[in-house]
Amino acid sequence: MPLEIGVLRRDGRTDPFFDGAAAGRLAVRHCAACDRWLAPDAACCPGCGIEETGWADASGAGTLVTWTTVHGRPAADGTVPPPALLALVELAEGPWLYTRLTGVDAPREGLPLTAVFEHPGEGEAYLLFRPA
Amino acid sequence: MNAAIAGLGMTELGKVYGRSPRRLAADAVRLAAADAGLDLADLDGLIVSHGLGGSPGIELAETLGLRDLRLLTKMDSFGATAGAMVSYAAMSVLSGAATTVACVFADAPLQPQQSSGSAYQRDAREWYGFGGMTAALGLRSVNAYYALAAQRHMARYGTTSEQLGAIAVGTRQWAARNPLAQMREPITLADHQASRWVAEPLHLLDCCLVSNGAIAVIVTGADRAASLARPPVHLWGWGQGHPGHPRERGSGFGLTTGAAVSGPIAMKMAGVTVDDVDVCQLYDCYTYTVLVSLEDYGFCAKGEGGAFAASGALAPGGSLPTNTGGGQLSGYYMWGMTPLSEAVIQARGDGGERQAPANDVLLVSGNGGILDHHSTLILSPHPKGA
Ligand SMILES: [Zn+2]
Repeated sequence: MPLEIGVLRRDGRTDPFFDGAAAGRLAVRHCAACDRWLAPDAACCPGCGIEETGWADASGAGTLVTWTTVHGRPAADGTVPPPALLALVELAEGPWLYTRLTGVDAPREGLPLTAVFEHPGEGEAYLLFRPA
Repeated sequence: MNAAIAGLGMTELGKVYGRSPRRLAADAVRLAAADAGLDLADLDGLIVSHGLGGSPGIELAETLGLRDLRLLTKMDSFGATAGAMVSYAAMSVLSGAATTVACVFADAPLQPQQSSGSAYQRDAREWYGFGGMTAALGLRSVNAYYALAAQRHMARYGTTSEQLGAIAVGTRQWAARNPLAQMREPITLADHQASRWVAEPLHLLDCCLVSNGAIAVIVTGADRAASLARPPVHLWGWGQGHPGHPRERGSGFGLTTGAAVSGPIAMKMAGVTVDDVDVCQLYDCYTYTVLVSLEDYGFCAKGEGGAFAASGALAPGGSLPTNTGGGQLSGYYMWGMTPLSEAVIQARGDGGERQAPANDVLLVSGNGGILDHHSTLILSPHPKGA
């Protein structure tokens, strides 16, 4: 796995997302009043302002908006951590997510992607996207 | 009545250790007052802005021993704050709410024996919640977010790394002429291309410095400023734009910024167009923000910022002298106070070796957040409407 990830823990407002991730489902925010899909970390619905929007499972299908290969800072001994391909992905339902790509050799705008979950031995599952 | 900047105070900038942001801020206000030929007791307004390290806040008034203020507040729209502070000070002066307002920014993120890159980066073994997940995946510093923006501009408009490099090289040429600049060694396009990747498409030489220090300006009525120690720098116009790019389908993230809103507001207020602007001081946390701001202000068409920069227009001898002190890339990183301070220096004709050939109209931009906030000021050595 490129670039050390560490251990991911849930906090008070992320249980539905990480429960979904554990089961391989992409849970995102959904406002029933506005029928509006929102990113899982959306603080409130910009349509009606309510903070406690519901949750719904997204299809996991998305397209690549933009990307960057991040290079870690060289350590004092000159070693450089492995790079990571990070991205903004547009879900088929509309919201954008910051995420990491896996298995993508030639990123391009609009590249079809699908959500996958990495299940580490310790901590919560990570959301990644790979080519559809 | 109009408003003007009457004083500029700058502490030592860069690897300045042993002074807290509050101390630095107090020093900058004292220097600005002295520059204007004022006593601290002449101030009746104080507006404070700080960096990510927090402090100073409005307790700075106590540090300075200021009494009977009519205006005291802290403002925060990240890198857009300097322009916002000055416009708020100007509006306070114009309304009669206050007469003489100091605006100050201070920060001290650098620690001795710590790399400058680590000052704004998060590293941890354990991460929590959604913010933790994006950080764990690798989005651990602002660099990555701006790289996503720059890459989108490249993919959409064909902007190239060499075009970004032209901005870095030109800015360093200006810095070489500024004794206050932290980085004055000349660089070439090849140096830019060979500098290590931070977050592709951004090389190290696409990224700003990290600096400790403080800068303050004093805003007062133009008539009063004319009777003070230094030539007034008149405030002709100001504006803000906060696009709040929605993270959803249709977002212009990376493609347009709040400059597209704040620029026309400020220029209309000032009664000028881009054709009248002699000098630009653009918020250059990255080379990319210069390029996209030029497009959004209308100095070139959308998508042509790269070609415009590569033409040499921004560098010494070019048609649009830009970031004449070396900006944040090579000069010093005082958030929005970097472009503002250099604009004041240029408006006063104090640029020495780097003085631009014309300085009748100067444009100053501030950019904050991840392209979320923008401020614009139009300055001139001449009274507005004269
Ligand atoms: Zn709603």
